[in-house]
Amino acid sequence: MATNDIYNKEYDVIIVGGGATGAGTARDCALRGLSVLLVERNDYSTGATGRNHGLMHSGARYAVTDGESASECISENMILRRIARHCVEETDGLFITLPEDDLQYQQTFVEACQRAGIRADVIDPEEARRIEPAVNPQLIGAVRVPDAAIDPFRLTVGNLLDARLHGAETLNYHEVESLIINQNRVEGVKLLNKLNGERIEVRSRVVVNAAGIWGQRIAQTAGVNISMFPARGALLIFGHRVNNMVINRCRKPANADILVPDDTVCVIGTTSDRIPIETVDDMRVTREEVDVLLKEGVKIAPSLATTRIIRAYAGVRPLVASDDDPSGRSISRGIVCLDHAKRDGLEGFITITGGKMMTYRLMGEIATNAVCAKLGNTAPCITANQPLPGSEEDGPNQGDLTKRYSFGQRAAIGRHGSLAARIEKDNDIDNALVCECEGVTVGEIKYAVHQLHVHNLVNLRRRTRVGMGTCQGKLCSCRAASLMGEFNHDVKRAQEDLAAFLDERWKGMRPVAWGDTLREAQLTASIYEGLCGLDTAVNLQGKEDVQ
Amino acid sequence: MRMDTVIMGGGLSALACGISLAKRGKRVTIVASGQSTMLFNGGSMELLGCIDGKPVEKPLEAIATLPQNHPYSKIGADRIAAISERVKLLFSDSGIEMTGSANANHWRITPMGVAKPAWLTLNDHLRIDDLNNLPAKHLALMCVRGFFDVPNAMLAQGLRELGFEVDMIEFTTDDITSLRRSPSEMRATSLAKRLVSNHALQRVADQLNSLAGEADMVLMPSVFGQNDSSDFQTLQNMTRKPLRLVATLPPSVAGMRMMTQLRHYFRMLGGTYLMGDTAVSGTFEGDKLTSVTTAKLGDMPLKADNFVLATGSFVSRGLRADYERIYEPVLGVDVVADNDRERWTSFGVLQPQAYFGYGVATDEQLRCLKNGKPIQNLRAIGSVLSGHDPVKMGDGTGVSLITAIAAADHIRENK
Repeated sequence: MATNDIYNKEYDVIIVGGGATGAGTARDCALRGLSVLLVERNDYSTGATGRNHGLMHSGARYAVTDGESASECISENMILRRIARHCVEETDGLFITLPEDDLQYQQTFVEACQRAGIRADVIDPEEARRIEPAVNPQLIGAVRVPDAAIDPFRLTVGNLLDARLHGAETLNYHEVESLIINQNRVEGVKLLNKLNGERIEVRSRVVVNAAGIWGQRIAQTAGVNISMFPARGALLIFGHRVNNMVINRCRKPANADILVPDDTVCVIGTTSDRIPIETVDDMRVTREEVDVLLKEGVKIAPSLATTRIIRAYAGVRPLVASDDDPSGRSISRGIVCLDHAKRDGLEGFITITGGKMMTYRLMGEIATNAVCAKLGNTAPCITANQPLPGSEEDGPNQGDLTKRYSFGQRAAIGRHGSLAARIEKDNDIDNALVCECEGVTVGEIKYAVHQLHVHNLVNLRRRTRVGMGTCQGKLCSCRAASLMGEFNHDVKRAQEDLAAFLDERWKGMRPVAWGDTLREAQLTASIYEGLCGLDTAVNLQGKEDVQ
Repeated sequence: MRMDTVIMGGGLSALACGISLAKRGKRVTIVASGQSTMLFNGGSMELLGCIDGKPVEKPLEAIATLPQNHPYSKIGADRIAAISERVKLLFSDSGIEMTGSANANHWRITPMGVAKPAWLTLNDHLRIDDLNNLPAKHLALMCVRGFFDVPNAMLAQGLRELGFEVDMIEFTTDDITSLRRSPSEMRATSLAKRLVSNHALQRVADQLNSLAGEADMVLMPSVFGQNDSSDFQTLQNMTRKPLRLVATLPPSVAGMRMMTQLRHYFRMLGGTYLMGDTAVSGTFEGDKLTSVTTAKLGDMPLKADNFVLATGSFVSRGLRADYERIYEPVLGVDVVADNDRERWTSFGVLQPQAYFGYGVATDEQLRCLKNGKPIQNLRAIGSVLSGHDPVKMGDGTGVSLITAIAAADHIRENK
């Protein structure tokens, strides 16, 4: 869309932040008939949304310590199974007790789950070993709960797609530099287009701050103070999926006590460290974090000791101090919705934060309720019942996939649900595989580039999983870069993009660069530098990190 | 069975060393895993391409300026000059036709259209001796429809920046289209397997002849000739214009062809090539290695007067890194490497990476050290050696070939 169109328009609501919460809020607002613009400074799901376990909590983890969060989780969990089934894998989860843990805690845990409405079945350790062969065989207790795995990238894109289908407009790579304020009223945002350096102003009746940990800065530009306490968590991805079910430790939440199966891999995490707000953009994982994750991970599933680690990453939870306790001693993991008119005397400005990826839909509902109250809109929320695009009832089901579709088509249906029908597959070239690990075809890349707001290879990876498999983009990234260079008619940019993509992959590999991961790194360097001379063709120095 | 020499590893350096010894009547056994980094070869050998990020024009002269720990410094520029001539002979004896000189680098063209300094380049590949005097003005870059392992647009742009006029022309033939039925089959090696019969080559040549237009040279991806250069020759004879090949992404047809030719020559000379086996451990007596155990021969260790370690770098598993350390996994010989994991790598992916320089430690005669003392009859050659960097210095294949022949000389002199 031409920027002039946006410039000349006044929206009902501008949503700042393209994570799950922003996307969910945009969808809800659009479904209630509001005119919506969502702006995101990087790519969609680059913040905490794209940097967690990919765990669809049953709520059991919070049952003992935070009953309210637990209830929210189980209710949202059941909703997402209906509305986002193409993003969810129904694995169930185990809470295991190891010899070093207190078995008494299991009783406390099960009772708390029951209070929160979470089904929690105590099972025999023998039965646990049978249904989940990867589990530490020394376990002395196990509880089965309705945890599941969810793809946060797909979930966010699904919400954005539906928002757009209902008239919302969305812009990635547009950063909010400040809010437009006129006499105690927020009237829009000043944006920097990070792709071309252009600055524009866009007006709206309400602005929703859904920028996660970065929301503190957005609020600050309007002179509003929100005390956020960034909590950093690091995670490791292993090269194949050792477990079928989510495995948790049945004890008070601690470091590295959840192992989640995600598609072809599995993820252990997290550490938890308070960090200064100034450092939230430094996502490099330290040696100490890796050491803790490995040590604890092996206790959950011993085979992790000999499983290749393909990368390490970290995210930052936006925890918020309650207003009557700015010291941060009583930090909430619950949802925080601030109407700044009531709180700070600033009209037209709402912040939605705290919460969890799990509760993004509820957060969207709460924020949209607040927006509607301001605008006098009385339409009800329907996001809990209306399936996301890709999860409609009449989509192809997993059962008949194997017979009728190729590997690439099946993989695409797994990723895009019923939307996979939009992927071109009429000729042999469209069906050709670009990424063999993840089954990404030329047709799927075309679809992503043309319909899913893809500007670079990292965007493409988030939409299609290209380069996410065990080889971490060894050959497919070059093939994909070459195709994108053709689509965009800009070869130099495609080469720089390729180098930036490899750099982004390397950032996650470096903290775990030993064993086969170091081998893969050497192989990649031999191909792209030794054979191809990519390091001669581009100069990455002084370039900003790609997001 | 007792051998004169057992070589652990079956790549470029192992074969060069094995051929050099077998040619002089030695009984040599090579223990080869069957995989080689020649799979990533671009149709050229590099002696020394780059120092401190700057291209090297005269490699033999530049070798004298290398630090003491570089494998070349242990051999010396004079001997390298002599050995470099023997390498050319070794290639031509094996039926590999290459051109180049150790005195002056020429330029090879990478799949991304970058000109990189090279020492020897296959005669059927595009080679530029002088960037101010290009071998053609107008190129027809023939792009195989649906073959993604050459980034054609990048290649064309690179060639244009070098001063060529380039037409990108997409084409296909029935043989190529039929490969498409399985979506993962469109690789350089599968094309090379398919494009062998005179009929298949004629159908390609017909396309080249009808589409090449005004160009004075035709460029094709290197997808011809699994075993030798005869398929290329046939195609050139059918094509009215001069034809040259450009390297593809792996698997490299040219690299695999060179390995086949070297292996064939080694066997012709009476060498034993144990394919699909790897050395797993060795037995030492005093300052000598007496035998090597392999995965397949199990309780029949290979005994020999001399041994050569040519197991390659991390990629080939000649070096291993675990959580805490870097080591040589077969014989446990000394390595040069940092103890601190943080220092193995750099933050930027295209920055120099320290681990590339890690490898086994040797004395001046390329003898491996164990606990600081040289093993009298065990030499290390090629990528397993410390002190060089194939990616940043462009010295990988050169170190493999030069150290292979230098080690063979030491072994013969030892007697």
